[in-house]
Amino acid sequence: MDLKRELELALTRRQFFSRTSAGIGIAALGSLLNPELFALGTTPNSKTGGLPDLPHFAPKAKRVIFLHQSGAPSQIELFDYKPKLRKYHGTELPDSIRKGQRITGMTSGQSSLPVAAPIFKFEQGGKSGAYVSELLPHHTKIVDDICIIKTMNTEAINHDPAITFIQTGSQQPGRPSLGSWVSYGLGSDNQNLPAFVVLISQANALNPDQPLFSRLWGSGFLPSNHQGVKFRSSGDPVLYLSDPPGIDRAGRRRMLDSLEKLNHMKAEVFGDPEIDTRIAQYEMAYRMQTSVPELMDLSKEPPHIFDLYGPDSRKPGTYAANCLLARRLAERNVRFIQLYHRGWDQHGDLPRDIVLQCKGVDQASAALILDLKQRGMLDDTLVIWGGEFGRTVYCQGTLTETNYGRDHHPRCFTMWVAGGGLKRGVSVGETDDYCYNILQDPVHVHDLQATILHCLGVDHKRLTYKFQGRHFRLTDVAGEVVTKILV
Amino acid sequence: MGLVGLKVTMAGQPDAKPKGVNFNRDIRPILSDNCFACHGPDEKQRMVDLRLDTKEGAFADRGGYQVIVPGKASESRLYQRISSKDGATRMPPVGSERTLTEKQIEFIRQWIDEGADWQTHWAFNPPRRPDLPKVKDGAWPRNDIDYFVLSRLEREGLRPSHEADKTTLLRRVTLDLTGLPPTPSEIESFLADASKDAYEKRVEQLLESVHYGERMAMQWLDLGRYADSHGYHIDSLREMWHWRDWVIDAFNHNLPFDQFTIQQLAGDLIPNPTLQQRIATGFNRNHMINFEGGAIPEEYQTEYVVDRIEATSNVWLGLTMGCARCHDHKYDPIKQKDFYQFFAFFNTIPEKGLDGVKGNAAPLLQLPSPQQEQQLEELSQQIKAKQSALSEQKLDALQEEWQKTRLGTMPLPPKNGLLSNYEFDGHLADTSGNYQHAKLKKGEVTYSPGIIGKAVDLDGETHLEFGNKSVLEGSQAFSLALWFNTRLISVGSKGRAFLQQVDDSSDRRGFEVGLGDILKLPGMKRGAHLQVRLIHRWPDDSIQVQSKDPIVFEAWRHATISYDGSSKAAGLKLYVDGKPTAIEVIQDHLTGTTQTASPLEAGDKRVATPYKGLLDDVRIYDRSLTEGEAENLAIHQPIRAILAELADQPFKWSDVLKDSDPEEDQTELTKLTKEARAELELEAKRAKLTEYFLAYDAPQPIRQAYAELRDLKARKAELEESIPTTMVMEEMKKPRETFILGRGDYRNHGEKVSANVPSWLAPLPKGAPANRLGLAQWLVAPSHPLTARVAVNRYWQNYFGTGLVKTAEDFGSQGELPSHPELLDWMATEFIRTGWDIKAMQRLIVTSATYRQSSHVTKDLLEKDPENRLLARGPRFRMPAEMVRDNALAVSGLLNPDIGGPSVYPYQPKGLWEEMAFGEIFTGQSYTPGSGKDLYRRSMYTTWKRTVPPPALSTFDAPDREKCTARRARTNTPLQALVLLNDPTYVEAARALAQRVIEQAGNDPTKRINAAFSLATGRKPQPGELKVLLELAKQQQEDYRRKKELSQKLLGVGESKADPAVNVSELAAWTTVASTILNLDETITKE
Repeated sequence: MDLKRELELALTRRQFFSRTSAGIGIAALGSLLNPELFALGTTPNSKTGGLPDLPHFAPKAKRVIFLHQSGAPSQIELFDYKPKLRKYHGTELPDSIRKGQRITGMTSGQSSLPVAAPIFKFEQGGKSGAYVSELLPHHTKIVDDICIIKTMNTEAINHDPAITFIQTGSQQPGRPSLGSWVSYGLGSDNQNLPAFVVLISQANALNPDQPLFSRLWGSGFLPSNHQGVKFRSSGDPVLYLSDPPGIDRAGRRRMLDSLEKLNHMKAEVFGDPEIDTRIAQYEMAYRMQTSVPELMDLSKEPPHIFDLYGPDSRKPGTYAANCLLARRLAERNVRFIQLYHRGWDQHGDLPRDIVLQCKGVDQASAALILDLKQRGMLDDTLVIWGGEFGRTVYCQGTLTETNYGRDHHPRCFTMWVAGGGLKRGVSVGETDDYCYNILQDPVHVHDLQATILHCLGVDHKRLTYKFQGRHFRLTDVAGEVVTKILV
Repeated sequence: MGLVGLKVTMAGQPDAKPKGVNFNRDIRPILSDNCFACHGPDEKQRMVDLRLDTKEGAFADRGGYQVIVPGKASESRLYQRISSKDGATRMPPVGSERTLTEKQIEFIRQWIDEGADWQTHWAFNPPRRPDLPKVKDGAWPRNDIDYFVLSRLEREGLRPSHEADKTTLLRRVTLDLTGLPPTPSEIESFLADASKDAYEKRVEQLLESVHYGERMAMQWLDLGRYADSHGYHIDSLREMWHWRDWVIDAFNHNLPFDQFTIQQLAGDLIPNPTLQQRIATGFNRNHMINFEGGAIPEEYQTEYVVDRIEATSNVWLGLTMGCARCHDHKYDPIKQKDFYQFFAFFNTIPEKGLDGVKGNAAPLLQLPSPQQEQQLEELSQQIKAKQSALSEQKLDALQEEWQKTRLGTMPLPPKNGLLSNYEFDGHLADTSGNYQHAKLKKGEVTYSPGIIGKAVDLDGETHLEFGNKSVLEGSQAFSLALWFNTRLISVGSKGRAFLQQVDDSSDRRGFEVGLGDILKLPGMKRGAHLQVRLIHRWPDDSIQVQSKDPIVFEAWRHATISYDGSSKAAGLKLYVDGKPTAIEVIQDHLTGTTQTASPLEAGDKRVATPYKGLLDDVRIYDRSLTEGEAENLAIHQPIRAILAELADQPFKWSDVLKDSDPEEDQTELTKLTKEARAELELEAKRAKLTEYFLAYDAPQPIRQAYAELRDLKARKAELEESIPTTMVMEEMKKPRETFILGRGDYRNHGEKVSANVPSWLAPLPKGAPANRLGLAQWLVAPSHPLTARVAVNRYWQNYFGTGLVKTAEDFGSQGELPSHPELLDWMATEFIRTGWDIKAMQRLIVTSATYRQSSHVTKDLLEKDPENRLLARGPRFRMPAEMVRDNALAVSGLLNPDIGGPSVYPYQPKGLWEEMAFGEIFTGQSYTPGSGKDLYRRSMYTTWKRTVPPPALSTFDAPDREKCTARRARTNTPLQALVLLNDPTYVEAARALAQRVIEQAGNDPTKRINAAFSLATGRKPQPGELKVLLELAKQQQEDYRRKKELSQKLLGVGESKADPAVNVSELAAWTTVASTILNLDETITKE
């Protein structure tokens, strides 16, 4: 960009800020404005575009990376070590354990619900001695950096409502997603990238289920500018990011310059601040055309980083490559980075598919923690790993010595969280010997959501949005911060 | 007054105390937002039995004290508590996340001191037609609307803006009434028309335009949560465009709003409903529908009803009844019981909780063409005739007799040459007498119900080895017969061998029989080719054949492979279900032996993908079986087994002919008891027997009649499959009961309730039935306080961007108060007075002086009234998503103005559906763009997939349509810039626009720019604007002249072809100029 151009832009900006009475800062534009704040006569936080009274208290985490394992990994195979299951293997799940709880239509017709012990071994890792499955050898290296919650529980027993619940706080569609709440409340610390970015990777397992829905990163009743922006591994990383064939950068710049002049002339006459906002958004779009490809380009990462994340990290779109991308987004202060990895829905052939999934996920998940740590970023980045519910101890389909499946289990499952404001090397909660019920320290999905917001300096009860006459919040009418895991 | 009013008041008189407090305007919102949650309608949450949402509660004598003492704030407990400095006594309490501002406390003090006048919530009182207010400037108003607007402006000390210039006004009203921009000739003729009522005449023409109905429908599709997919989980496609067509048509025919309401809510309950009236009821079938595997039907059936309540109450009542699902409403007087009484109206639809796998879910309406209708009628008549003819044949007796004796005469399975026979009836033994038993090598053996007795269930890990091998080779005649029933295998996965005896060596010498790669077949089915291989050396020295057609996977299928030992493909015959099937030869070059030391195996084996599923009655012969023998094994043997089992069971012909009752299908299989299941199985066996009897053994005339009947039924089924359908409302014959659901949970049945309207509003009109029809009549009763207000408010929102009540979806006590309450009531009563004339209401609004104002804004006015709630200027805002795109298509000349019909597939970035899709057999999992004229249809016809809404539209705030939306967000983001700059739709439109003006304006660049600019914005550019664009055009032309290749690329965007007569670099350069114009803020803005 030449000097003359720079000068022009500077002038533009000055003009822009002098004309908008509400006095928005440039960063606010970067975060995609909160127009409704102006309507309410509220001035957004001038640095971030977030709400003026946020954060409510000093945040421990500045950003979140949520590694959602879609389809629901089995806690029984991976984290919640239950040696007694060997003894119970093949026996009927006792009524005293099941307690008449509802089960899905996939196994409710089964004449028998035999206990299936996992066929995989567990190993202890780190100083904390946490048990981790042999399928997750790299996780044994990070157990002292993470906090394992074995007593997650949810209300839904099928994927759609359960994943909608964990992502939006409600089983039924219509509510804003976690990331959009954070974008709305806290705005962005980055001028060139969206506040809320979504990455998707496909299954490693042969069974690729489950599907995803854009409501999971949607903005519900919040203004649509808070919805997650999907960064894609093929085609344009952001939809419509690239100039069309036949328009080069110089041509694009000329068009934008002319457009800006014309829009200015219009603004002079009409005085509508929306025009000024639009001018600024075209500039941000132009900046994104550079900042996004630069972000997505992993070629400058050194070999030892690829080694850390594993060979898949060189293949765009894989979970490993997305973990690496997540770190790059975090480095650029993107507020909320949401990954989805498909393929954990193991109703049948669990032994086959869980091995494949773990191969795809283990090293890169651990690498992300190690990488953030070595950069000093784990202190202010919150990382979350887990699915939408757990899996049943009883077998779905035919139980054999080598093969079995597991149905959906909402009553307990394992997630791990790490970083910004959380204790390290601890485990929370205890389940019974059947890994069916929670014995101690249940953590409900709303509790997890409250805790995530807490780490970001947000009181989940006070981040509300009035819609249809009600002050809605992410955690609905529930949720307690899990103080046990806070530093 | 809402926040904006406060802001205006405050800005005008910063320190002034509010004059004359009005309860509904100033006090109720404070009480509602801060107090009602604990002192409101919800009994369960109510604290200290104090209720502040009713007059009785607020002024009750509470045993020695009153919470509110009219005229005496300082003696009122309410004021004392809210103004208390003591944190322990102050209200709202600490921890409630609610606080009152000093101003709010002051308001309440003043209200009490002024006498604490109490009013019921404004929106629950029927609108009363107010007198026109007096105004100072009597010359400004054009119609009654303007008196209300002006009087308010005069009170605020503001003046209305002057009228917008003619071109702006024409573009504004054309966009508003048709969703499309005016054409150059329309602008020209309007400008040329100097008559006083030129504008009014134009409005009349626009109201008569066929595009008027489309424009009005756009908003209604959001309210009706119209989509082309089911939403929820798998989100496959549905077909509801007949309903969309109905909506467009209703607006174009100006169906009065009361009829519009009745037909959509209860068209099916109108006496002798027309087809159109029944289609209209699709409104309440547009909700999402789920069929996620394992989901619980009742849970979702409940959600569908809840969705109907949410949409209906939002659209007609402007209320959010949804809150009362779990408990009494916290702010409005909606009881939980009210909610479930309302629920009962919508709970008696013969629907399944889980449905939609094959598209539309029952109940649905078939919409045959007249020709199809006639064919259907004919087929039905023929079927009826055949059935009654058959019924007269005393079949019961005939079959009973047959059943008793047939077993003795039934042919036995061929025994000649039988080397081994694996029946798998709970064992692996060879029952041929040759002792070639199978052995388990790995995993476990499980047995499941088979076609005859039990079957072996291979899970992909189990490995069986059979005792027989030598015969299955190229130089010897042999036959192999088996039953198979595969487990669901994903489409695209590799082929699977049932049985194989193959060398581990690279030659893969040996024999294999199995299935090819799993294919997706029409009708949501999966299947695969039956494959047989005899191999000397893989792959060239072998015989490889497969069935020409794939075999559909549905329950049990039988295969017989019969081989003559000729080492030629011609010597191999395949029989599927006992019938010869055509063979496709893949390789026919076998020169050597296929003998191998490997045993015959099934299931897990390194050399072949293990088969997963069931196998039954495997037979091996040392000779080639005949067609008759294959038929015997596939058709007669299973019947023989049933006959043996059911020899003395009575038979009922009527069981076989009866058509299933859709309501009976409601019984979910999962709920069946063991006995009921056994009963079902028995029934299926009986049906099989009858079918066999009628097909093979009955007297010839009966056999023939039955064959004809079967053929007719198949033809009817095929025809019905091809007839388009639409989902509609219907009543169950035996209505479902409705209960209050504790915490809104479907499992938690409480008190039983019946259908009724909310208790605190007027009751159902006299004589109205307690069903949806009565409900609809109640809604459009002229005395209803909400319906008309809510409807006219949304019309207002369409034109001005914000409703008079900003919260268009909430007229309850938490909603915002109207900015112009009297205007709202005047319009509501006018709407009713005109017989709910929708067009008349649009006409009234767009011909008002208020609407016709210029939308220029001064800094002062912007500060005072940023949202234009006072209406001192005309509306100016970015168009809705659909119009942004439609406008670009229209000005470029690409637009295809066809109206109605199925949805279309415009350009969309690759892979968007696929990356989130589920499985392969469902519809709507992959996106294939359309072609030709379909690419340029109006955006309202774009296929709307709920879990992946059309990206270019959702970027401009189009909703995903999962739920009813009364008000869209209006954002301004960089992603929108990217769409307008780079989406092929807009690049192609820019090229078409460039071409259009080059052809139209010739070589003069000024003329070209003038033409393009006026097309896009309706006006000619100003000299300054012209200069910028001329300079851009000049630079771009120079640039593209140097970069020919770039020009070609740019012109290649989009399916339509560039005019070869126009110079390539010239067109490319002007494409970028046109794109710049299409990106102008003004182009995408209604102003």
